[in-house]
Amino acid sequence: MSGPNKDGSPDNGPQLSASESASLERGYRRRLAWYPRWFRLQNEDEILAVLLACAQDGQQRPSLEATWDLLKGAARMWMRPRPGQPRTVFVAIRLMWAGALAELAVGITTLVTLGGARATILHAYAPAWPGVQHQLIGDVAEAPLVIALWLWMAWANSRGKNRGRAALALFFGIDALVVLAATSAGGFTFLPADMAAGLVQCLIALAAVFLVFNPASSRYYRTSMRNTSSLA
Amino acid sequence: MQEATFLILTSLAAGSQHGYGIIADVAEISGGRVRLLAGTLYTALERLRADALIQVDREEIVDNRLRRYYRLTPDGEKRLAAEAARLQSHATAALRRLRVNPAGGVA
Repeated sequence: MSGPNKDGSPDNGPQLSASESASLERGYRRRLAWYPRWFRLQNEDEILAVLLACAQDGQQRPSLEATWDLLKGAARMWMRPRPGQPRTVFVAIRLMWAGALAELAVGITTLVTLGGARATILHAYAPAWPGVQHQLIGDVAEAPLVIALWLWMAWANSRGKNRGRAALALFFGIDALVVLAATSAGGFTFLPADMAAGLVQCLIALAAVFLVFNPASSRYYRTSMRNTSSLA
Repeated sequence: MQEATFLILTSLAAGSQHGYGIIADVAEISGGRVRLLAGTLYTALERLRADALIQVDREEIVDNRLRRYYRLTPDGEKRLAAEAARLQSHATAALRRLRVNPAGGVA
């Protein structure tokens, strides 16, 4: 770090050539991209100025220490709600990410175990295989769509869009109906693991619905909608 | 209150400071023992802003780069004063029990 003046500004700044400075700045910008977008919009230029002011003479790339520090800072920022966002909406959005992850896990597990499941079922009761195969292929095919839906809902709700929470409520309703139909008498056509995954997603959606329709959350959605209208 | 937070607030107690100024000031206050890095500093500044203990005083553009000055809020001043009094009380008790004279050295 070069020495500061009384006002805290660096003496002459680090002695960096234009190419060194550009290379270092690119490196820092790549690391700052780890932070949430709201934080970067608010602070990126300012942090970059401080990082460059703290650079050593001739430094061309960020140090490991600075990289680790920025990584920790980014992780902490992802754990914080954006300014003005209530804790309820913040937690609901993390739940939606968890929903996407759960669906991803279901898709991967189904793909990976498809061969083993086929061999087991053909060995135990071959006539059941076509039905099970149809269901498993359906699971794999719908996984990307469900993941995309969870991520879109997380995005829309984080921006306070009412259609985001309406979609979430609808998603929960449909999911609950599917789980109820699967568990009802005579309707037990789902695999136990499939049922469990559906139930987990249903519970995640239920918790998220409660959170986004909380009065504190509703104020956030109203404010966000007003801001969007005034910008239009 | 964490030591880094205490030192950042202390750095702002004398007047507004920008990010690099805080880093340099914290190093000076701590006798070079605490060396803040930018990631740690801005995580702390964000938390302190969210808790309304500091606020942005003004912004400048220096060498085409944004420089933002921060200052303590009245709540921040109260919180720092309370924390300083608490630490002082603990330090006084420790020194009294050790029978350390004010000039240093154990009596």
